[in-house]
Parts: sequence; C-alpha cells; structure tokens
Amino acid sequence: MFLSTALIAFTLATRAESPTKPFEFKDGDRIVWLGNTLVEREQRYGYWETALIASNPDKKITVRNLGWSGDTVHGEARGRFDFNSADKCFKQIVEPTLELKPTVIFICYGTNESFEGKDGLPKFEKGLEKLLDALKPVNARIVLFSPLPVEPNDTPGSIKAAEARNADLKLYADSIAAIAKKRDLRYADLFTPLSNTFAAWKKHRASNPHLPDSERFLTDNTVHLTRHGYGITLLDFLKSLGYDLDVRAADQTGPLRDAVIAKNEQFFNKWRPQNETYLFGFRKQEQGRNAKEIAEFDPFIEKLETEIDTLRKALKK
Amino acid sequence: MRHIILALLLAVVPSIAFGQGNAKVPDPDPELERKTFIVAPGFEVNLWAADPLLAKPIQMNWDPQGRLWVATSEHYPQIKPGEKANDKIIILEDTKGEGKADKTTIFADGLLIPTGIAPGDGGAYVANSTEIVHLSASKPGEKADKRRVVLSGFGTEDTHHIIHTFRWGPDCHLYFNQSIYIHSHIETPTGVKRLNAGGIWRFNPDKTQLDIFARGWVNTWGHAFDKYGQSFATDGANGEGINHVVIGGYYPTAQGPHTQRILHGLNPGSPKHCGLEIISGRHFPDDWQGDCITNDFRGHRVCRFKLSDDGSSYASREMTEVIKSNHPAFRPIDVKMGPDGALYIADWYNPIIQHGEVDFRDPRRDKTHGRIWRVTAKGRDLVKPPKLVGATVPELLEQLKAPEQWTRDQAKRVLKEMGQEKVLPELQKWISTVEDERHLLEAVWILEALENGEGRLKLSMLDVKNPNVLAAVIRMLSPHNRGITLAEKNWATYASDDHPRARLEAIRALGGLKSPQAVDAAMKALDSPMDRTLDYALWLTVRELEPYWMPEFQAGKLTFGGDAKKLAFALNAVGNKDTVKPVLTLIDGGKIPKENLHGLYVLLTQIGGPEELNRVLTYAIGKEIPNAKRDELVLAVEEGVRLRKVARPRDISVLDQFTKQAGTTGRAAIRLIGHWRIEERRNDLMATLALSTVDPEVKLSPEDCAAMLQAIALFGDAKAKSYLADWCSYNSKMAKVPAQGALLQRLSIAALAGLDMPTAAEKAADFLAAAKAEPELLDVYAAFLSRKAGVPALAKALAGKKLNPDVAKLGLQAVRGSTLPAPELVAALTKAGDLAAARKPPTPDEVKALVAEAMKADPARGELIFRRKELQCMACHGIGGAGGQVGPDMTSIGASAQPDYLVESLLLPSKAIKEGYHAMRVVTADDKVYLGVKIRESDGLLVLRTAEDKEVAIPVKDIVERPQAKQSLMPEGLTDQLTKQEFADLAAFLSQLGKVGTPYAPSKARIVRRWQVIDPTPENQSLFRRGRVSAAAEPDTTFLWSPTYSLVSGDLPLASLPKFSVWRDTADLTVLRFNLDVTTAGAAKLKLNSVAGLAVFLGASPVEPKAETLLDLKTGVQTVTVIIDRSKRTEDLRIELDDVKDSPARVAIVGGK
Repeated sequence: MFLSTALIAFTLATRAESPTKPFEFKDGDRIVWLGNTLVEREQRYGYWETALIASNPDKKITVRNLGWSGDTVHGEARGRFDFNSADKCFKQIVEPTLELKPTVIFICYGTNESFEGKDGLPKFEKGLEKLLDALKPVNARIVLFSPLPVEPNDTPGSIKAAEARNADLKLYADSIAAIAKKRDLRYADLFTPLSNTFAAWKKHRASNPHLPDSERFLTDNTVHLTRHGYGITLLDFLKSLGYDLDVRAADQTGPLRDAVIAKNEQFFNKWRPQNETYLFGFRKQEQGRNAKEIAEFDPFIEKLETEIDTLRKALKK
Repeated sequence: MRHIILALLLAVVPSIAFGQGNAKVPDPDPELERKTFIVAPGFEVNLWAADPLLAKPIQMNWDPQGRLWVATSEHYPQIKPGEKANDKIIILEDTKGEGKADKTTIFADGLLIPTGIAPGDGGAYVANSTEIVHLSASKPGEKADKRRVVLSGFGTEDTHHIIHTFRWGPDCHLYFNQSIYIHSHIETPTGVKRLNAGGIWRFNPDKTQLDIFARGWVNTWGHAFDKYGQSFATDGANGEGINHVVIGGYYPTAQGPHTQRILHGLNPGSPKHCGLEIISGRHFPDDWQGDCITNDFRGHRVCRFKLSDDGSSYASREMTEVIKSNHPAFRPIDVKMGPDGALYIADWYNPIIQHGEVDFRDPRRDKTHGRIWRVTAKGRDLVKPPKLVGATVPELLEQLKAPEQWTRDQAKRVLKEMGQEKVLPELQKWISTVEDERHLLEAVWILEALENGEGRLKLSMLDVKNPNVLAAVIRMLSPHNRGITLAEKNWATYASDDHPRARLEAIRALGGLKSPQAVDAAMKALDSPMDRTLDYALWLTVRELEPYWMPEFQAGKLTFGGDAKKLAFALNAVGNKDTVKPVLTLIDGGKIPKENLHGLYVLLTQIGGPEELNRVLTYAIGKEIPNAKRDELVLAVEEGVRLRKVARPRDISVLDQFTKQAGTTGRAAIRLIGHWRIEERRNDLMATLALSTVDPEVKLSPEDCAAMLQAIALFGDAKAKSYLADWCSYNSKMAKVPAQGALLQRLSIAALAGLDMPTAAEKAADFLAAAKAEPELLDVYAAFLSRKAGVPALAKALAGKKLNPDVAKLGLQAVRGSTLPAPELVAALTKAGDLAAARKPPTPDEVKALVAEAMKADPARGELIFRRKELQCMACHGIGGAGGQVGPDMTSIGASAQPDYLVESLLLPSKAIKEGYHAMRVVTADDKVYLGVKIRESDGLLVLRTAEDKEVAIPVKDIVERPQAKQSLMPEGLTDQLTKQEFADLAAFLSQLGKVGTPYAPSKARIVRRWQVIDPTPENQSLFRRGRVSAAAEPDTTFLWSPTYSLVSGDLPLASLPKFSVWRDTADLTVLRFNLDVTTAGAAKLKLNSVAGLAVFLGASPVEPKAETLLDLKTGVQTVTVIIDRSKRTEDLRIELDDVKDSPARVAIVGGK
C-alpha cells in the first residue's frame, strides 16, 4: 500500500490550492538530480520520483539520482582517497552529470552551506554560479530547489534551535531564488510548503496522540525526512514544480515505486560502486580487471526502465 | 612502464586459473579444525555454532536476553551486477542452556555487506554500506520489517574499510570505526561531520549527535572499554598491538588539523589484530581479569595481552595465546565475553583474507562457512546468565554491581531503554546506598545515558578517591560530552590532580572548553610530573584552544602567570608566525630552563625571518652547544630557508664562521651560501674548487665538493650554468690532481641537471661514453632520474652513443632503484650498451614453477638470504618490529599471503601493495621528482618517507604535479642477482613467516632483535686505539655503528658479526648495543642464554653479566652495550627482557632500523 487512508485524508486536507505554473517536461526527458542527503535518501524511498513520473504519465522521463550525503555546491563530500582537492571534488559533481547527457537538471543545495550563516552566503553564491556555468555544455533546463526547513521536535530547546536554523535556511532559499531569477531558471520552493506541512503535522500530532513512533514527526532528527516524511510531502514536491496529483491515484502507484527503487539500487551500485579504490582508484592494478562489471549493470538498469515505462503507460488509462 | 602494466593485465586471466589449480581449500569439518587448536593451559574450546547455522560472520554483539546477533555477508568483497543486496543479520541462541547454539533466526536480509551490528532501541543498529540503519520488527521474535536510515554518507572506497566495530560504550553511546580509505560526510542537526581517513566515531542516537572520538589507524577492527571506561583499540594493518585511546588523539595515518604529532600503540612490532575484548567475571581466573584478547587473524591465533599502569597510560605485554592453530581457514575476527562468562570467538573461516591482493572473484574465497567458538576454563563454574529483560529497576540496579562487565553493560542498556521517568527516582535512592566507588561510576554512566547530556551530574561525584573512577567522572563531565560549565579553576585542580590519569582526562576535557582561561587551567598540569602521553595531551589541548587564547595572549591579557616554562610549552605547541615575537621575548628574558631553550630555537627556524635565523646560527656557534645539537640547528636553518624561502640576513659573519667548519654543519652552511645567493661568497667557492685540482694540499672530501657545487647551482643564473658546464667538459687528465678533476666533472653534471637539463644531458652522454663502470656513476644517473625532464633528455642525448656495457647496466640498475617509469631511457641504455632486451615480467607458468620450487626449498637458508646486506631486505622491512619501517612488517606474512602472491611480489613489487605503503610521486616547480609514502600533509607541507627511510618535506605550493601513484617503493629487480635456488629459499622463508608450528611463528617473548654493531673500519679502529674498548659504551662518541638483527628465532648469530682486534696480539672483539625505552623507572632484568665472554654496560657503567642480569633503569631511552670476547665465546647471543617481581618499571625494547 502506498499511503494509509488517514494519511490520504491529511494530505487532501492540507493540499495546496493553486499550484504555480507547471515546469514543462518533455517526452524522453532525462533528469539528473543533484544534491545532498535529501536527494540521496529519496532514491531509497522513491516517493518523490514516482510522483513526478505519475503526474506526467504521457511522457517517458528517466531519473538519475546523483545525490550525495553531506554535499555542497562545491562537491565537498565527493572526494576520495585518490583525490580530495577542491578542484577534483567539484569536477565530481560536473563530470558525471555531463556524462549522463541530461535534458533537465534538478539542483538541491544550500542546507549544509547554511550552517555558515550570512557570512557564508557569498561563498555559496559563487559556488552555485560556478556550478551552473560548468553545467552549461549540456544545455539542460535547470531547476533550482530551495533547501528544506527544519522541523522542531519535542526535545527541550528544539523550537528555538529550529527558529535560528530556519532563519539561516530562508536566507539561502532567497539567495537561490535570486540567482534563479537572474539566470531565468525555474526556482522550486520547498521551504514554504514544507514549513506549512510541518506546522499542519504538528496539529495532526496533537489531535492523534497515539500515532506510532515512526509517524510522530516527518523528520527523524529535525533535518532529514523519514520514509513517511517523503510520502507525506510528495505533493509539496510536485507543487514546487507546478504539478498536482490525485492522491487516490497516487495510491495505485505501489508497483511503479517498487520498480523505481529497484532501478535506483542498480544505478547506485553502478555509479557509486564499493571498492572504488581497487576498481578505478590508485589500486586498480590489483582489481581494475573487475571494473568491466560496472558496464554489466546497464542491461539490468535498462530492463527496470522498461518496467517503469510499462507501469507509467498503464497509469495513463 | 605502460607496457609492463599492460602485460600484467594480460597475464591476469591465466593466473586466476593457476590460482585455482593451486587452491588449498581445506576440509570444512569443524571438528578437524578444532583439533588443530593449541589452547592455553587450563582452558578448552567447544564449537558453539557453525554453518549452516551461520555463514561468513563479520561482527557479533549480545543483547540483554543473551542472544548473539551476528552481521554476515556473502556479497563480500563486491556485489555482482544485477544482484539484489541480500546479506543478513542473524540471531543465534542457546535455548537449552547446553553450551551451544540451537536456534538461528534471520532477523534481517536485503543488506549490502553489513560490517557492524549493535542490538538496541527495540531492534538493531546495522552498518549497511553508506548508511547506518536501525532495523526493527513489528512483532517480537520475527523478521525486521521496519528500516530507518539513521546516518548516511559513509564512504565505501574499500569494503574492508567501511564502518565497523560497533560497540555500546559504558555511557550507552554507540561507538563505531572507519578505516583509512574511507571519506565520510554525515549531515547532523548541528552541521556536517566530515572524517576523511580512519578513526573512531561516537554517536548519541537520541540526539543524532556525532563526534570524532579519535583519529587515525589503518583498520581499527577492535575497540573495547575497561571497567573504568578507558578505551583500547587494535589495528588490522598497523602492527602496534594494543592502543590506549586518548580522546581526540591522533594515531598513525590520522588526518586533521593536528597531524604534526601522533600517538602509537603499546606493542610496536606486533602482527596485525582484529577484534578486542577485555576479560572480566567469575568464570575466568583472577590473573586473567582485565586482560585484552584480540585476534592475529593472519597467524591463526587468538592473543592475550596484559595491561599495567604506566603513568597516565599503560604498558601492554603479550602472554601465551588463548588459541593457536595451523588451520589455513581458521580466521578469528571478533571476540566477545558471553552471558555465561565464557569467551566467544567469531571465526570467519576463509583460506583467503586479502582484499585487494586477491581477485574479488577468486573461487577460493569461501562464501558458505563460519563458526563461533566458545572458550571455557576447565573445572571452573560458568556464570548463570542473568535475567535482565523483565527485571525491575531495583533488580537491574543491583546488577550494576556484578563482577561481569557483560552483565553491567547489558543491565545499563535495559535501564536506558526503560527511560528516565521510570529509572531516575530509583537511581537516586540507589546512589545514596552504594559504597563502592566503582558502583557509583556505573551510576554516573547511566545518568549520562538517561539524561542525555541535558542534566547535570552531581559535582560531588568529583570527590571520589579512586583515581580511575575520578578520571572516568571527569570524562563524563567534560565539555566533549556534556557542554556543562565547571569553573575553570575547578578544572585546574583536576589538571594538577595527584593521579596522572585524572590529569590526562582533565587536560583533554579542557580542550573542548573554548575559552582563553581553559589553556591556563590545562597548563597547571606542568606543575606535576609529566609523561609522554600527558605531554601529547597538553600539546593537543593547547593547539585546539589556540583560537581562544592567542588573541588574549597577544593583547597581554593572558600571561601564563609569567611562568616561562608554560609559555615556552604553549608557543612551541602552536608554532606559527604569530609566535615569533613572544618566542624572542621569552629567549631574551633569560628565564627559560636550559632544556627548553633548544626547542625554542628549533621553533624559530620554522617560523622566523632572516634575522631570527641568524640568531639561531649565533646561538648554535656557541662553544657550550653539543655537536649533535649544533648540527640539528644548522640543518634546521637550511630546511627553514629551503621550505619557506627566507631571505638572507644582513650580517653573514656567523655564517662565515660555520662555512669553515668540517662535516654536516660546514656543508649546510656552504649550501646556505647558495640558498641565500650570497654573491660575495660565490667567488670564494669557485676559487677553492679550482685550487683543489692543482694543489694536492687542498684536500676536499667528495661530500664537501658536492655541497659547494650545489651551492653554486642554487644561484640558478647564467653564470652558474656556464661555470658548471665548463666543469662538465673538463679534461681531468689536464689536472694536476686528476682524481679531483674527474670528481668535479662528475659532480658538476649532477648539479647542472637541476639548472640546464639539455646541456647536462649532452655532457652526461659524453661523460658516460668515456667512463669506466664505477658505482659512483649511479649518482650521475640519479641526477636525471630525479627530475621529470631528465629521463627523456638523457635518453635523447644517448642516441647514437656507444657505452661500455657495464656502464649501461649501471644505468639500468639506477632506473630500477629510482622506481620511476623510464621506458625510453631503458631502451636508450640497452641500445647504447648493446645489451640484450630488458627483463620481462614473469609469465604465469614461470610464477607457478617458482612457487613449486619454493615449496621444496629451505626456509633456513632463505632467512640468511633475507638478512644479506646487499639484498637490502631488512633496510626496509622489519620482523617483530626490528628492521626498516619503509615497507610492511613481515612478521606474519607467510600466514596471511598465498605463496603465488609472495613470489609475484618479489618479482613485481608494484602489482599488489599493502594499504598505507603506496608511494606517491610529486613533481615540484623546479622539475624535481619526489617519490615516497605520504606521512602527513599539514601547514602547507607534504611530508613523504622515501625509500631511504628519510622524511622529506615539500612545500605544497611548489607541487605542480601529483599523479596517481600506483607503485611500491620497492624497486624491481632486487632479486635478480639471486640464483634460482636462492630465490626459492627466500620465497620458502617468507611463506613460513608467522605460521604456527614452524620455527618462524610469532613469539610473545620480549627478545632483543634490533642491535647496532661497530664495524672494523679504520676510523673505529683508531678511536679504540686512542681510548679504550669500553669507550664504546660512553655517550657522545663518534664511533660508527651499523644495524644488525637477530634471527626470527631470537638468536643473534655470532658468525655473521664483524670482529676486530685492537692491537695485533689482542683477542678478537665484537661490540654491540641495543636500546631500552623506559617509561616508568625501576628494576628489570635481562635473561642471557649464557654469559661466556660477555661484558655488559648500562650506559657507561659496567654491569655484572649473569644468566639473569639485573638492571636499575632510569626513565628515558637507555643504552645497553655488550662487548664479546670472541676467543671466549662461540655460542650465538640471545637476550630477553623480563620483569622483576613487584618492580614498577615499564620498559620496552626499541625496534626499528
């Protein structure tokens, strides 16, 4: 089952009235999704990606998730034992993206950078502009997402801490919006709708004292969406792109989501294989011969893409 | 080089087939395996669980119900394309209480190489590749159906490095480790935590609070807490035995802002270890309590170490093994005490343990077996497993008094999960009733766990008397832990507590206090006796606090109470530009204790400008400065100038005094003329060199000439180029002193290579074409091989030239020695010398044949070959910690490596390289090539250890190229000079090393293995004639010593040692010495195999040699000198260090090169 009846009720009750102008997808679009933990974990849960495909059932859209925990616009988290210079880290965002020949690029940064507060804004903006310039060669349509707000929990001091963090996060969200405007790119605001959803969930929690532990909050530590959190916020995600989805229809997308997750697992093992040091790094003379296996992932990914396609087309009817 | 790599790749496929043919897959019957166990006296081993109950266990931990949770992986080392991750967490239970598991439950599957498991919080925390997940089951006893990602962003660059070694600490926080290649970036509510190397993490799951607990190590596969919460760790690659973990400390290979100093393990020269547990409880005899158990998984041994206090840290001594075996698949990798008080050992059961060195898909890799062994003491009762789940709070609190740490830790887990509302009221009551301070400590820990850092421990708990309890309480109160504020003056009291371990914890706690006063409080420690660990801890704390105290100090608000010793310590620890002025003021103040002065001057060479460097020289020229210290200072000045490009001082009169001196200082001063481009002295150098070729009375050593020419080359201008070029084409036959002319010609070619490569190459080609084959030519070749443009230039210049074949062969030797890829030069030399084609990599069939030969060969002869000076094995590799440190220690190589791997490694050293031993090649702006193993990169300097075991610092901003290094520092062709039989013997020796049941098994005995011996050189001879033989035992003499090593058996073979007679008719003598490192003073003894012909000195004082020779040792490194009258002794020498009963002494034998 996709979402419980109670959750559907919640989602319907809090759904947005009028989505903004839809970001236009085309048949055959290839989305590369860049960002930090928010993006990386999405591939395990698949709610947002599935919702995106389900809300465009007449188009073939393929998604490649290149999210990396702890990452920033500078690619700080993408260093390896072989290379950890700023320049090489940055290239680890750009090169894999260009290689995938995307027609659309989703960029979700700002959360980790925002710990630097106002003083860190110039560095962040410079980094984001540099990234956008570096991605130009593929001429993709780019969507800049805002960071997520923080969801206060019930530990002492959490509300105050969340206020301070949200003030900083808002600064970065506004900065991203300004850059999007300057460059005439689509800005997708997650900060505002998720702030509203977190507030609505607080009321929901107050009126449902017996919620299971895993559903009391939409994040498990104020910052990261839980499995359940991704499910609840899928409409917010769609809305940020100007889309809407009948949640009852969304409830029928279980098999599609399973296929999306399975595809993501194979792709993850291909693009972030374990033992990279031996396959491609400085010890490749020892195991580099096994790097040939990496290409062997492709047929499995293709097969799952076909399955996604079939399930997507079935939704259209 | 490229063609060699290609050939290697091509060679791979058949070698896999060969590997299979040679596979040694043993009979998997557990009883056959058990029968190979040699068990410690008084103990026995039974099979607790085996396949098919479990397969491939990686880590295990108990839950409070007494069930064993095991993380297992069949995907390891690498998942296959299309496979869905399906590794498992299983739960093993002994439901019948019969001493063996009878039930297995698959708790979770669908995991990717889970390398850590910690049951808790209604399920289990599991390491799952890039994440830690929490798994739980909706229905108790069933399979997990809920999965929550707890942390994500852990690196996976190597699956035997991914996060591992999960362990609940006594404070109920989750500790886990990562290994050297791993780069982790973890988002937490307070920011991203990044760790780009090995280390231990501490995690509070309730608050997603994550901190780095300690940094470094290659593979910290063991971590345990003793009953006072002190941390110990073992390393599966860096052989230093048990490591005492200082909070926030940096250990070998650490990355981070303070890598300039590191801490080491307590047993250097050990084999590598996996897992760690500390014995506690009634089932084990008294003399086992507190002992560390870890696994030598390569050598098929379960090892035991005994800890004892040594100042603020510990001494660790290896005892007889718990288990040793020669079963090739017995791989003990985890060890835990169980609910019944017995010891449980996880056996990964695999003939292959190498990760990178053996193909991921090698069919010999076992995927289906695994065992849990149980060790029990014969005739002693087992402990009745406590009932913890379902017990009341008061019952659980009483369990905190149990003698078994297992019970105390698990009771705390249950209490923690009950929550503070239920537990706190009862706990308050219980605290008021306990008398034993150790029980109070358990209460402190459970308070920490329950209050979750929000509450306040009672400060009255700091009144405890037991210093170990006090140390633990201080840690719990430290800002690292709780963020509470204890007034700085209170901290100062603990920083000067009577007990060194309490001081250690207070010093480290202060590092997290983020206030200028914290450094003042920490400095109180200097009023009490210091030891190495305290010195390190204080150094680290001062550096961590620098952002808080330095501004206050510069503003004159912080004065360290005017105590020069404290100020000197602080400035030395920080050592940056900001400290130049205060250091000068401090020196000028004249209040510095003498022993601190030298350190401050060394500091000035690292941070000072031209005039400060001149002050150092002025100080160093003083008559009262010992020669060794003077050398150190002048070389430090040169290094400062080289690395930081400090300009010349105005006044060079002191430098002039130095250039007239002989030896190291004189040469460094001469080179400074070049570094500083002191034009008015260049002409003097040129004149002196010219004179030396015409006047036989002007005697210059080759080293002095080299220094002068280097100085001239350092000017780097047209004048220098033409001057050196003139010497390069000098016709030495015209010189009045032809040998000197030839020398200058040769040295000038090398010097010119740094200035004008094309000209130098042309001159070199001409010179080589006319040269005779002499070893000195290696230096000429080396000048080209150490520069990037040198190889192609020399190759080009050699085109069309004819060389003496032996001259060309020396060139090939130099290429191999440089470990640089130089295919064009190899081709040019081969052609010019009309040599046969260069050596080719061995074919798989050749390797196979060599392995077969080695299986029949004689390891004893092989050991003698390994020890041959000209083979240089021991210059780079140690055995049992004795020998060079450039390459991996060989102690247990035979037990871990397949023979085919050993043979290939001898022939092709770069084919498979141990982690931590990969060379890095960098090219600097002046085209120089450096090759070495990276030691650290900090303060803008990259420090490499070269093949010569030297540390070289390179300014990072000068580096223009840093290509991926894929090579070993071990040159190819080292074994070319061996006959086929000799090669087979050498391989046989290596393949036996570390194998239980052979004479080459690792030994726990503390045997002197690393010696120095006086060679019968004319210099040494004349020193003896002028003085006495016993002068060799005196400090500050100029004897030349060379290293020598004991056999693996521990005997030092007399026949191989140099001997000499001082006068024509006196007896032949051999003079040896070794060092002891004494951390706590007291008595210790040396056990001699016989005293015949021996005279023994401790320092300069004679000691009567006896079978058990008693030594009264002071703290510090002590030298024992042994003079052997060869006319009275033919027997080999063996000396073992041993304890004297009730002596406080803590002594280690110094190993190394």
